[in-house]
Amino acid sequence: MDKKQNKAAAFFKSKYFGYIIFGALLSLLPLATQAGVLKTSMIGIVGGTIIYSIVAQGLNINLGFAGLTSLGTAGFMGLGAYISAFLTENMGWAWEASLIVSIVICVLLGLVVGLISLRVEGLYLGIITLCIAEIFRKTFEELDPITGGYAGKKASFPTIFFGGWKLNQAQNYVLLAIIMVIMMILTYNLVHGQIGRALHAMRGSTSAAQAMGISLFKYRLMAFALSTGYAALGGVLYVHFFRFAYPSTWTLTLSLNIVAMVVIGGSRTIFGPFLGAVIVYSLQDLVIKRIPVIGDLNGISYIISGVLIILVVMFYPKGVINFFSQIKEKAGKSKAAAPAAVPAAQTESGKEENADE
Amino acid sequence: MSEAVLLDDEVLKIDNLSMHFGGLKAVDQLSFTIKEKEIFGLIGPNGAGKTTVFNCITQFYKPTAGNVVFRNNKGEVQSLIGVKVHDIIRKGLVRTFQNVELIPELSLIDNVMVGAHIEFKAGLVSQFLKLPGARREEKAIREKAERALAFMGIGDLKDQLAGGQPYGVRKKVEIARTLMCDPKLIILDEPAAGLNDTETLQLADNIRKIRDEYNCTILLVEHDMRLVMSICDRICAISFGKFLACGTPAEIQANAQVQEAYLGEKEAEAEKDMKEEKSPLEKIKDNLLGKEN
Amino acid sequence: MATFFQLFLRSFETGAIYGLATLGIIIVFRTNALVNFAQGVMGMFGAYVITFAYSKGVPIVAAILIGVVAAIALGFVVDFCIIRRTKKVSGAGKEIITLGLMMVILGLVPIIFGVEPLKLGKVIADGSFTVFGANISYNSVLNIFFGIGITVLLFFLIQKSKLGLAIRSTASNEKTAKLMGVPTALVTLFAWAVAVVLGSLSGAMVAPATSVSINLMDSVQVCAFIACVLGGFQTFYGPVIAAYIIAIANNMLSYYVSSVWGTQILYIIIMVFIVFKPVGMFGKRTIKKV
Repeated sequence: MDKKQNKAAAFFKSKYFGYIIFGALLSLLPLATQAGVLKTSMIGIVGGTIIYSIVAQGLNINLGFAGLTSLGTAGFMGLGAYISAFLTENMGWAWEASLIVSIVICVLLGLVVGLISLRVEGLYLGIITLCIAEIFRKTFEELDPITGGYAGKKASFPTIFFGGWKLNQAQNYVLLAIIMVIMMILTYNLVHGQIGRALHAMRGSTSAAQAMGISLFKYRLMAFALSTGYAALGGVLYVHFFRFAYPSTWTLTLSLNIVAMVVIGGSRTIFGPFLGAVIVYSLQDLVIKRIPVIGDLNGISYIISGVLIILVVMFYPKGVINFFSQIKEKAGKSKAAAPAAVPAAQTESGKEENADE
Repeated sequence: MSEAVLLDDEVLKIDNLSMHFGGLKAVDQLSFTIKEKEIFGLIGPNGAGKTTVFNCITQFYKPTAGNVVFRNNKGEVQSLIGVKVHDIIRKGLVRTFQNVELIPELSLIDNVMVGAHIEFKAGLVSQFLKLPGARREEKAIREKAERALAFMGIGDLKDQLAGGQPYGVRKKVEIARTLMCDPKLIILDEPAAGLNDTETLQLADNIRKIRDEYNCTILLVEHDMRLVMSICDRICAISFGKFLACGTPAEIQANAQVQEAYLGEKEAEAEKDMKEEKSPLEKIKDNLLGKEN
Repeated sequence: MATFFQLFLRSFETGAIYGLATLGIIIVFRTNALVNFAQGVMGMFGAYVITFAYSKGVPIVAAILIGVVAAIALGFVVDFCIIRRTKKVSGAGKEIITLGLMMVILGLVPIIFGVEPLKLGKVIADGSFTVFGANISYNSVLNIFFGIGITVLLFFLIQKSKLGLAIRSTASNEKTAKLMGVPTALVTLFAWAVAVVLGSLSGAMVAPATSVSINLMDSVQVCAFIACVLGGFQTFYGPVIAAYIIAIANNMLSYYVSSVWGTQILYIIIMVFIVFKPVGMFGKRTIKKV
C-alpha cells in the first residue's frame, strides 16, 4: 500500500506528469474555439505547430544529441505523407496500418541513406541528405500516379480504430496532442537511458566513446534512422490533418525551418523543439504578419529565424528554453550549484530513478 | 605475424610492434610482456612514442607491423590486431586519455555509467518504452557506478555535472569509468599529469587498490618518475620508438642507456629554457597570439 | 556523333558552372574547416545584384563587375560579422550558422530585389559556329574558357604565390600557421570573398538559361556538393575534376537515358560509388590523432 502511494507520488513529481498536463492543456483549445474565445483557425495553426514539434523532436536526436546535420527532414516527411495518403485513399487501408507502414518504409530508407553517408566521419550526412531531399522533391513532382504531381495529393481526416471512428478536425487535433505527449515521453526515456548517454559520449569525444565500446557508426545510424521515423510520423499526421500535400511543401526551406526549431528552441531538451516550433511556425502567422509594414515584407519571418539561429548558436547555445530554466532558478527552486537547464533535468532524472526503488 | 601465444602468467604481449607515419618510425620493433596483476610502467622522454604504443594496443592506429597478444576476460589468448576499436573493451581492455575526455553536460554518475555501455542488453524498443528489463538494468548499473565513484572517494559528488569539476576530480571520474566493465587490463595515459602532490599520492594508493580489489592488471604511461618508481612492479623504457630496457624500478634507474636518454632530454630542455629566457618578447608575442585564439 | 559532341561541349559549359561553385565550397572548407551550406544562396545573391543592375540598363560587363564588388562585400561581412566570432563554436555549430545565414539571405533577396523573377542577358548576345557538326554559341565558348581560366588562375595562385602558401598552410593547420606569422584572419577573409565571387560568377553563367529567382542555384549547389564528396574534400583539384565529370555524366544521362530521371540516377550512382570509396576519387584516408 505504502509502496503504491510512493509510486503515485513519484509519478506526479515525474516529467511524465508534466508532459501529460501540457498535452491536456493543449487539448482544451477546441473547447475555447467552440466557446468563441479563440478563432477556429487557431486549431490549424497550433495543430501544425504540434506536428512540426514532433518532427523537430526527431531531428533533435540527430542534431542535438548525435551532433549530425541533416537536411533531408522535409523529404522524409513528404515521403511519409505521400505514402500514407496513397495507402488510405487509393488502397483503402486503415489509418493505423498506413501509419505504421509509412514509418517503416521511411526508416528503412533512412537506414540506407545513413549506411551510405555515415561511413566517413559525420561530415557527409548533411550533404548526402541534401541530395536525397533533391531526389525526393523531383520524385514527388514526377511520380503522378502516387503523389498527384504538381496538383498535389488529397487525403482525409483519419478514421481510427481500424475504420471504427471517423474524426473531425477538432478530434484530429486532440489526437495530435496525444501523439505528441507519447513521443515526448518516449524521447525522454530514450535520451535518459543507455542510448542517450552513448549519443552524448559520441558528440563529446569520438575516441573516448569508442574506447567505451560505443560503435560510432551504429549509434549515428540509429540517431539518423530515428529522426527519419519521427519525420515520417510527422508527415503522416500532416497529410491527414491538412488533408493535402504539395511537392512545394517538402523543400529545403522546410528542412531549414525544422533545424531552426531545434536550435532556437533548445537542442537536447524535450520542450525545446515545441518552443522552437512555436517561434518559427506559429509566431509568423500570429504575430509577425500582423505587424504593419514589416509584416507585409515577403520573407521577413525567414530572416528572423535565420538571425535567431546565428545568435543562438553564437551566444546562447542552450536555446530559448533556457530562459525558463533560468527564471526557475532565480525563483530559488534549485539550491544546488548546478547551472542552467541540463543539471535540472539530470537531478530530476536521478530522483525519478531513486523513486522506483 | 607471430603466433598468438602467452605464458600462463602473462596477460599482454607486444611483439615486434612497429608504427610508421610516412617516414617517421614512431614505434620501431618494440617488444615487451606484461604479467597478470602487475602494475607495469611505460616510460620514455617526450616524443618517445608511448601514446602511440597505447593507440596501437587499443587499435586506434593500425600498426605497420608486429602483433599485440592479449588474454581476454574469458581466459582466451588472442591477437588484438584487426579488432574494431569499439570492440576492444569487450575483450576486457579499457583505457583513459591524456586529456580527460568526459561529457560535460552529464552528471558524474552518468559519465561513469557510460563505462558500462557494453553491459546493457536492453534493446531500442525496451529503452523507448522503459520496460521492466531496461529499468532493472539501469538500476543495477547505476548502483555499480555509485560503488565505483565511492571507491574513488568521490561518491558524494555523483549528481554534479562533470563540466564544472576540478581537474583532479575529472581524472578520478575517468578512472572510475574504466572500472565499470570489470576490466582485465586498464591502460592509464598519464594519470598524474596536472595533479598536485597530494593528489598524486592518493592516485598511487588508488591504483594499487584497483589492482588488488578489482583483480586486474594495470599498464601506465607516466612522466612523474616518483609515481612510476614507487608503484610499478616492472618498467619498460623506450626512446624514439625503440626498446631501451625492461626491469624493476631499481634496474631501470641504474640502467646507463635510460639515464642517457633522459639526461639528453634534460639538457635539451635546459637549452630550450635558456633560449626562451633570452627572448621574453617572443614569449609575450606567443601569449598574445594564443589569446587571440 | 554530332549530337554526342554537342552534348560534350555543352557539358564543359555546365562543368564550368559547377566547377566554380565547387571551388567556392572547397576554399571555405579548407581554410575554415566548415561545410558552407550557404554557398548556393550567396552565389544567388551575387547573381541577383548582376541581374538587377542589368535590368536597370547597366551594360552586362559592368553589371558583372558591380556583382563581383557586391560579392566581395558580402564575403567580408559574413567573415567579419559572423565567422570570425565563432572560434569557440563546434564544427556542427558552424554548419548550423551557415544554415541560418542561408535563411537570412533567402529572406533578404525578395525584400531587396522584389519577388518577380528577373531576366539576365548573355555576355555575347548572339552568334554561334559549328565544329564537327556540333553547334555552339560564342557565349558558351566564353563560359567554357572563363570557367577553366578562373580555375587555372586560382590554382596558380594557390600553388605559386605567397598568398597561396598562406592559404595552404592555413588549410593544413590554422593554429600553427598563425604562430608562424601567417595572417590567417586575412586568409579566411580572402577565402570568403573569393567563395562568394566564384558563386556569383557561376550564378551569372546559369542565369541567362533560366530566370533569376531565389531557387537559381539550388541544383548547382547540390551538384557542387556532390562534386566535393566525389572528388574528396582533401584536395583543391579533386572536386573541380569531379564537377566536370558530373556535368558530362548528367548531360549524357539526361539525353540518352531519361530527361526526367537522369539526374536522380546519377546521384544514386555516385552514392553507390561513395559506399565503396568513402573518401572520394582523389581523397586519402587520414589517421586521426588521439
